[in-house]
This record gives sequence, C-alpha cells and structure tokens, in this order.
Amino acid sequence: MNGLVLTFHLAGINNQNFLMRDEQTGSFWQQITGRAISGPLAGRSLRLIPSDELTLALWKTERPNGKLLKEVAADAAEYEPKDWDKKLQKSFPTVLNFPEHGLGNRAIMLGIDAFGEARAYRYEQVIGEKLVIDRVGSEPVILLVGPDGLSVRAFQTGGRPGEFFRTSDGGMMDSGTGSRWNFQGCAVDGQLKGACLERVEAIKDFWFDWRNYHPATSVYTGNGKLIGKRPAP
Amino acid sequence: MASLAVALFFLGYPNYVIRPQRHQGARELQAALTVLRFQHVAELLCAAVALVALLMYLRSAPRRASLIGPIAAAITVLAIAALSRVNIYEVMFHPAGAPAFASVRESKLDGSERVLAVSAGSDARGYPIRAIAYHHIVNDVAGGLPIVVTY
Repeated sequence: MNGLVLTFHLAGINNQNFLMRDEQTGSFWQQITGRAISGPLAGRSLRLIPSDELTLALWKTERPNGKLLKEVAADAAEYEPKDWDKKLQKSFPTVLNFPEHGLGNRAIMLGIDAFGEARAYRYEQVIGEKLVIDRVGSEPVILLVGPDGLSVRAFQTGGRPGEFFRTSDGGMMDSGTGSRWNFQGCAVDGQLKGACLERVEAIKDFWFDWRNYHPATSVYTGNGKLIGKRPAP
Repeated sequence: MASLAVALFFLGYPNYVIRPQRHQGARELQAALTVLRFQHVAELLCAAVALVALLMYLRSAPRRASLIGPIAAAITVLAIAALSRVNIYEVMFHPAGAPAFASVRESKLDGSERVLAVSAGSDARGYPIRAIAYHHIVNDVAGGLPIVVTY
C-alpha cells in the first residue's frame, strides 16, 4: 500500500473481532473488513484475495504440490483443539446480541457480500443440503459442498443453461447440456468441457459478527425460501 | 505526580476500553486507538519528566524530607512506561513469525483437519485452521505477492 509492504501484529479486539496494527505506519486495521480504522492509513482497505476453507484431504487432492504451514513448535501445545469452534458456541458469550431469524450469536455462517446484497447461509444447513441454488442480489449463485461433505464453495451460475444437480461423486451436472462439473466449478466432460464457473467469495463467520458488519443482511432458510430483508430486483 | 497520572492514563485507558468481554462503542474505540497511537511517545515523555523531577527534587529537598515517596513515584512511572511497551495480545497469542512450510505430502496431520487454502499462480499454500486460530496473523508472500493471512 502506497509502495509500502505492511507487516501486521495482533493489537487489540473490537466487539470480539480482532484489531491488528502495521509496523510501518502504526495504523489499526479491523480483521473482518480489512479496513484501517485509525492512524495514517485510516479509511484504506486491504484487498481481499480468494481463499477456501477446505479439509486437508481434499486440498491435497487438488494441490498435491501444495505447501502446508509448519506449526511453531514452541506454541503447538496451545493451538486450538478439534471442534474448537463448536465448543466456543457453548462456552464463550458474545458482547453483541442479534437474536434474529432464530440464530444463535455464534451460529456458524457462510456470508456472501456481492451483487448488491449481503446474504448469510447457516453452514450446517449448507452441508446438509449439499447443493444450494439461490440468488444473491441480481445474480444466480450456488453453494456446492465438496466430496468430503465439509468444504463449501460458492459460484456464479448466471447465463448457464438449465439447472444444476448434485451427483453421487460429489460433483454436479447441469440439465441444460448434461455436462459434469467438479468441485472446482469446472466442467470435466460434456458439451461445456473446460468451462469454469466464476467463484464467489464466501466468508465463514459467527452470526453476531456477520450481522454486526452487514446490518441489512438477508438469511437463507433452505429449499429456496427467503427470510430477512431483500432489495427489490 | 502529574506525569504519574498521565502515564497511568496512557496505559490504563486503552486497556480498559479494549477488553475481549466488553462492548466497544465506535467513539470510545476511536478515542482509545488515538491514545494508543501516542502511547509510546507519551510514556517516554512521562518517564523523562519523572526522572528530571526526581533529580530536581533530590537536589533541592530539605535534609529530613522523606525521599521514599518521590523515588517510588518515579519508579512507578518508569514501570508503567516499560509495561506499556508490552503487547499483551502477542503475549497471549504468540506471533507466528516468519512462516515455514513443508510439502503437503509430508504432512502427518489428519485429513479431516481444516486448512485455509490460498493460491497465487502456481504457489499453493495451506494454513491449518487450528494453528492460525491461535496465531491469528501470518505475514507471508504467495506467488510474489505480499499477503497477510488472518483468522
């Protein structure tokens, strides 16, 4: 930014989302938004780069040459135990409270902020449905669960013929051309072979935090139903 | 005494406002962050003022005057100034430092472990969630692009 490469340090907490500070200017940045809220760079935003939260097994099949971060030996004993995010739901109260849509404050959501709308999906519901066919703002969007039953990716499907169906191998087929699609959103055979759907960024977040930063968010209820505010198309 | 009060304020106020189990209002957060940005300079000034004041007092104090109070006050200011240099968040969550990587094929982690996966060109990097949920921040470079991974 401004020709500087910024190095970040953990610096505080704001309603249970952390703040970080860059060494170069001393500005404070909010983690969930990537925006500087105080200091010389206040108002500037870091560019969000695409990322996935995947199981290691699935990532290994996609990226066999991938590099995995090594643990810091001195700290490894303090790393979070398995199911830490589920355990948090029971034990760690939040300071913000949004008892809407029947959601607990620490319900784990996948949030999409695109095409003029903020929309949140309950993670447990998405992996239960395995393929969510929905709209965000003006655009048709799908959320696809990977063959591991746990990883989720969101794609834009506008302009594609027909509907998507999930296949038993964890991929998809489209009813328009009968092409088969993989978890990377690319057609692996059929008429559309080689074409890829465009990714849509979905962030995993606790409901209270997503709602705090997206006050007008709508929430997906399942099977194509909608609750919450939605702007007129 | 004034420098003690100021030193206490610059250390105490931000730590009071920015606490995990407390709600932060937007204005008080801005105030606390502004205090934090000037904390280092303020604490240095307080330490300097305290030392100078102590020296002046020692020079001009009557013989029988108790020196314990002023010396204790000066030491307290220095201690507060030193304490303000400690980043309590990095004490609770040690920084990851310069990240080291190994080929995913060598990993002994269970396949069900979650990773945050980032690709830049042919550079594919995975950050185990349980590790970055602790470190919170990893300063890294992927495909030549400086990035910061946060969780």
